[in-house]
This record gives sequence, structure tokens and C-alpha cells, in this order.
Amino acid sequence: MNRKTHRHRIRLSGACVVIMAAVLGTSSCMVPASGEAWSDTLVIGIESEPDILDPQGAGGWVTYRINHQMFEGLVGQDLSQPSAEAASTELKPLLAESWDISADGLTYTFQLREGVKFHDGTPFNAQAVDFNIRRMWDKDAPQYDVRAAGNTTFLWQFLEDITVVDDYTVALTMSQPFSPFLRLMAQGGTGAAVMMSPDAVEKYGDQIQNHPVGTGPFKFEDRVRGERVTLVRNDDYWGEEAELEKVVFRPIPDAAARVNSLRNEETDMIAVPTPDSIAKLEDDGFVITEAAPPHIWYLTANMNEEPMQDVRVRQAISMAIDREGMADGLLESTALPAYRNQAPANSAYLASADTPYKYDPQKAKELLAEAGYPDGFSTVLETSVDGSGQMVPVQMAEYIQQNLAAVGIDVEIQTYEWISYISHYNEGLQDGVGMAQMSWGMSTPYWLGIVTNVNLIAPNGPNVGYYDNPEMQDAIDAAILATDDETATKLWADVNAIAIEDLPFIPIVNDKSPYVLSPRVEGFVLASEEWYDLTNVSLS
Amino acid sequence: MTLFSLKRIGSALLVLLGVTLIVFLLLQLVPGDPARAILGQGATDEAVQQLRNELGLNDSLPQQYATYLGGLLTGDFGTSISQGLPVLELLLPKLGNTLILAAAALIIAVVFGVTLGVIAARKQGGIFDRVAMALSLGGASAPVYWAGLLAVAALSLGLGWFPTGGMYNAREPGGFLDLISHLALPAVVAALVPLAVIARLTRAEVIEALSGDYVTVLRASGISERTMLWKHVLRNALPSLIGIIGLQVGYLLGGVIFVEVVFQWPGLGQQLYTAITANDLPIVQAGVLFVAIVFVVINLISDLLTAVLDPRAKAA
Repeated sequence: MNRKTHRHRIRLSGACVVIMAAVLGTSSCMVPASGEAWSDTLVIGIESEPDILDPQGAGGWVTYRINHQMFEGLVGQDLSQPSAEAASTELKPLLAESWDISADGLTYTFQLREGVKFHDGTPFNAQAVDFNIRRMWDKDAPQYDVRAAGNTTFLWQFLEDITVVDDYTVALTMSQPFSPFLRLMAQGGTGAAVMMSPDAVEKYGDQIQNHPVGTGPFKFEDRVRGERVTLVRNDDYWGEEAELEKVVFRPIPDAAARVNSLRNEETDMIAVPTPDSIAKLEDDGFVITEAAPPHIWYLTANMNEEPMQDVRVRQAISMAIDREGMADGLLESTALPAYRNQAPANSAYLASADTPYKYDPQKAKELLAEAGYPDGFSTVLETSVDGSGQMVPVQMAEYIQQNLAAVGIDVEIQTYEWISYISHYNEGLQDGVGMAQMSWGMSTPYWLGIVTNVNLIAPNGPNVGYYDNPEMQDAIDAAILATDDETATKLWADVNAIAIEDLPFIPIVNDKSPYVLSPRVEGFVLASEEWYDLTNVSLS
Repeated sequence: MTLFSLKRIGSALLVLLGVTLIVFLLLQLVPGDPARAILGQGATDEAVQQLRNELGLNDSLPQQYATYLGGLLTGDFGTSISQGLPVLELLLPKLGNTLILAAAALIIAVVFGVTLGVIAARKQGGIFDRVAMALSLGGASAPVYWAGLLAVAALSLGLGWFPTGGMYNAREPGGFLDLISHLALPAVVAALVPLAVIARLTRAEVIEALSGDYVTVLRASGISERTMLWKHVLRNALPSLIGIIGLQVGYLLGGVIFVEVVFQWPGLGQQLYTAITANDLPIVQAGVLFVAIVFVVINLISDLLTAVLDPRAKAA
């Protein structure tokens, strides 16, 4: 045997030993044995480093899932019922015990809960509400915060005045009726109308984001960037006290690393596992929790691009995409096919037996030929590489690329990092870009009114595809003005019908938002929302 | 020596200035508007413009660069867009964590690398030499992220000996032993490449030194083989070793960025990765600059040290 061959064999044997160790190692993975002593700290593996902990100015769902445990608004959502029991969440009184809306729909009077204190001891009252709302809305107020205002414009756009009626009563006056207002008050994500301690805001100024002080069931303990955000139970909470003493949110951006940390007992619960790991995790005794959060993974059509201006082209694209195949195959049933422009978790979701634009490549080709593109055309699809609610965007875009190639549409995919992508996307779709992907939605039907509103065309709003349809606009305006629920629901159904017919954006799938829990986590409920409540969660 | 040192320091400063310019210019190519990213999509054009003015984003490029350089000189590295904190305050603890990891990796690489190299040279052509060199070739060729994933699969998930990542146990943070258990895997993985390089170079240097006339003289004087090898031969190889170890420190700092991402080590690399995905320009700029400064300073020190130990190096 010559020296070279011998050396080669030694290297090969070494590699085999390492690989065998790895294979043997992974096959012995299993759920921790019961009976061990557990700490009373819940560790949650989250998808990315959170944004700032100023809930009014912070962006993204990942951060709001943390802020939601510390902060409360006047109006809340009932997050105790899983999606299977409640398709959309019920609004519930939170820091306001009740509210009254004037007959003309212009004045909202909130009766506040008494005896509530912020974590720093500051009393919660009408002055505190006035202080907080002015921070987001009143440019002349000393506490006005540009970032908080920017992130909550959608909520305060028709607010004309705020009046402190007495210590526990606040009245908000609108310039026009705005039926989604209460539900928007309960929203989080990008900007949330929750109450922060006025004393803390004044004391910490710009640094309030590092000293979050709310009224919620958990209070802030510490934050080590890149490592953890720790919350502890608020023993002076006005409502039902949390079961857990401590919660740690640990950013682990890599999905496979999150799965590993759960298997190795370093976390008790993780968000968004890799789709292909779910079945094995379930077999190994971990608990998979899914829900129907109110967002859609969709493509926005650029109405400035010639082919996309023709509704038949948009319809053809919609019919050329095999949503069932993507949801069941690529995404391994972690999503449902979406054919409508409101998510099922939305109060205005149109549940009907027929499925618009069912997968039919032949019909898609006919529509393209009718529109004057018998040989198809070339276009660009933009997407991100990751992000909350995005699932596996690049693979999904490639799936769409293949589907569209089958009907003659040649798609070039351009990708961006998530936060860069949001910023780029919000500037509006550029010339040459036919479609851009986004994953978004709200539990209020008004969301459809936001993304298609002619007054909110990018870069001054989220209508990034420059959609301008007077018929749709009239329908949205009418729905906003409706002052009773029944009329509003009927009018939103009209808006939805136009959206389905005209396809300003093309819905693809509804994410089931899977979470994986260690078997010792009890009481965790995933409701039809992007965030969850940890009050009733405990560890066995 | 003084002239050599001054020249060497001068060129190091020039390199750093070049780095600041390249970092500054590269980041102009990143898409998206930082002002809009800060204010959110609902912000008015007026607010965005106001913030662009405040951040100096509407100034000409040379003006922005001059402001940037002026800030650096006064210790102002800017404010993080995503975290809203002074960049220096945010990055210094991360730099500390990275140095812990890099130092642990360096100790492993030097101790094992030099030992392996010397023994391999002593037993040149034997089984130990062949195995050690084959392993070192494997170590030098293995991508660190791949080696990291393999280590996690085998030693964390498989045998349960080590945690899969992070710096402390999130339930009970703190404690030296906790730190060591979290440090072990990433340090070993980060040490693989420098260990291999140091081992191979040490072997070559020692083999060369062993052929020197003074070795024959020393052997003839009856000195023990061990003393001759570890004391005299290794000392002769030291200047070259210091040079290569200095370079490895630089590569280590680059390499630990991948290791930090794989093991979620809260260091500069992990922070840079997060900042890049968050389009947080001030952190990216400062992070790259920190790595460059450490790289240049370590190389400067190793060059000066080599020159002290081996005056011939000054001519090179």
C-alpha cells in the first residue's frame, strides 16, 4: 500500500467514526424522563432578536408576543379559546371595564377599571390614558413619540380629541364614524395601543424601551441582547395571577437550532419548527399546537406593470398556482390553501362552498390568451428569505415559479433579508417588479381596507401595489362608516366580494403557525391571533 | 527598531482608514430606507424626511463619511436603529463574549497544535505523524458550520454532554461551570482550523530546525532529546510560530462569526448577523470595524514581537 492511499484510508476511517457518532447520537434523542426536578421557569425559543420593548413603537409579532405579557390596552381579546372553538377572537374589556359609543358613532366613552397599578406603582387612571394616547397622536404633547405615532397612524387617523371626563372616564371623539376602531384598539404587532406607566416614560425618556413598565400579569426583569428577555410574575396583578414565576424568551434565529434546543431540554416551547421535523417531534412525545392566525401569505400585484393591470392575468396567475400541493407537500400540512382575501380568523371571512380560482392551468392559459399573452410573459417576484409568518418563503416562491412556468409565465425571483425587505416593500413595488410577497392580516376586516385603500398608496401607506378601484374604495368607506355590527359585516362582505373578483392581491396559503411544546407545558392555548397569553400556562 | 515600529504602526493606521472607507461605502448599497425602517410604514413623508435630516442621510457622501470618521474619533459609533442604544454600549459586551470564545479556541489551538506538531516532527514518517497530519488536514478543510452541526448532533443531542447553544442555561443563568459547559463545543469547533494550521507549521519548522548544525552539536554534548526538542529547537521555531499564531487570531475572529451563529453564542458575530438581517447599519459598520481593528492590532503585535525575537524579520 503506498503512503498516499494509506493516508486516504486513515482520513476516511476518521470521517466514518465522526459520522457514526452523529447518527447514533441523533437516533437516541427522546423526550426527557419524567420525575426529574424542574425549575418553574418557562423558556421559549423565539425566531429572532426582539425589537425594542416600547410596545407602542415596536414592530413585528415576535416582539409583541413578549410585550403582550407585560402590557394591556383598554380593550382586549379573549385568547383563552383555541381556533378550533372560536374562529375569530371575541373582544373583551381589559383596562376599560366598559365603553359606550354615541349614536352617531363619533364618541367613544371608556369607563376605566379602578385599583389598577403599573408595575412601578404608578396608578392607572384617566390621566394615564390621556398621557399614553397623546404620546401616539398629539404632536404638541411633550411625550409625543414619532416612532409610536408612525406605527399607530392606522388607529388614530380619525381621532379628533381626547377628554378626561373624571378620574376613571375618558372620551375619544372622532371626525367620522370608524367601525373597526375597537378591534384595532386590541391589535398588536406594529404598534399597539397599550398603556405604559407615564412616570416611567418621563423618567427614562428615550430609554423607556429598556425599562418597560405596564400593568400586565408579568413584569420585566432583564434583557441581555442576543441571549434573553426575562419576565417575572406580577404578584400585584389586578386580575388572575399568572401560574409561572418566570418566563424567558430566548432568540434562536435558526429553526433547526430551535428544534435542537427543545430536544435537549434547554427550551420548553419553540415557535416555527422546520416543517420536516414536526412528525418526528410528535412521535417523540412533543406536543404540536396549531391555530388559524388571521394572516394570509399572499402576492401583491403591481398595478403599474402592464400585464398585471389586466384582471384576467391576475386571475390566470391565481388559477395556475397549485395551493393544495404547496400546503400539503412543500409545507407538510403546516398551512391551509387560501383562496379568499380575508383569513378564516377574520370576522368578515366569507365561508362558502365554492372555491374561487381553483387550480386549473388549462383555464389559466386560456385567460392569458384572452388577455393578449398567448405565449405568456416575463416578470419579477420579490420575497424575503425569512421573517415572522413567512414560513419558508424562498421555497414557496420557487414552487410558484414552477407553477407559473407551466402556463408560460417566466418568473425571476429576487430575495431580501426580512427587515430590509419590509422597508423595501413599504416603499412600494418598483418598475419591472410584477409581484411581491407578504404575509400579513388582522382580526379586523379593516385590514383589507388598509392594503387596498387609495389614500394609503405607498410610500404613504401599505397599498404597495398602487391599487386604485373607485368601486372598492366606496365599499371600504361605507363599511368604515357603519355604526352597527350587522351592517358593517354585510358591507365588509361586499368589499370581500369585489376583492375576490378583482384580485388586487392573490392569496396563497393560511399559516397554521405551529408551536412545539415539551410535554411538561400545560395550559398553553393558541387562539386565532398572532400572539398568546401565558397567564394560565404552568409546568408539570 | 523604532523606525521599523513607527513604519509598521503607520501602515496599520492606513489599513484601518481604508477599512472605514470601504465599510462606509459598502453599506450605501444596502436596500431600504433606515428612516422608514425606524418610523414604520404609517409614518408621513414629512416625518421620514425630518429623521433623514437628523441622521444626516440627506448629506453628500463625503460629508457623511467625514461625520462618521469624526464620530469614531470621539467614541461615537452611532445609535443602533433596531435597538435604540448607543452602538458602543451594545457592542462592547458582545466583543467581550467573542474574545472569551476566541481566547478559549486559541488556547486549545496553540496547546494542542504545537504539541501535535512537535511530536509529529519528532516521529516523522511514523504512524503518529501520519494520523496527526491526516486529522489536521481534515480539521483545516472542515467548514466550521458543518463541524459545529456535527458536534451538536453527536455530543449535545446524542450523548447529552453539552448544551446545544447559548452562553448560559436560560433557567439559571450564571456560574463559571455553566459557562465552561457552554463554551466547550464552540471553542473546540472554532479551534479546529487554527489548530490544524499551527500543527502543520510547527511540524515543518521543527523538522527544518532539527536539520540545523547546532542540533548535531547539542546531541554530541549529550543533552537529552526532550530538552533539546522543547527548549532549543522550539525556541528557534518561535518567531515563525508567533507570526502564524498572530494571523490565526485574525482568522479566528472571522471564523467565530459562523460558530457564534451555529451555537447562538451572544458575541459580535451573532450580533453582526442579527444586525445585517435587521438592516441596522451603525451596528454592522461598528462590528466590522471592531473585527478589523482587532485583526490589525494583533498582526501589528505579532510583527513587532517577531522582530524582537528575530531581527532578520525587520528586513522582510
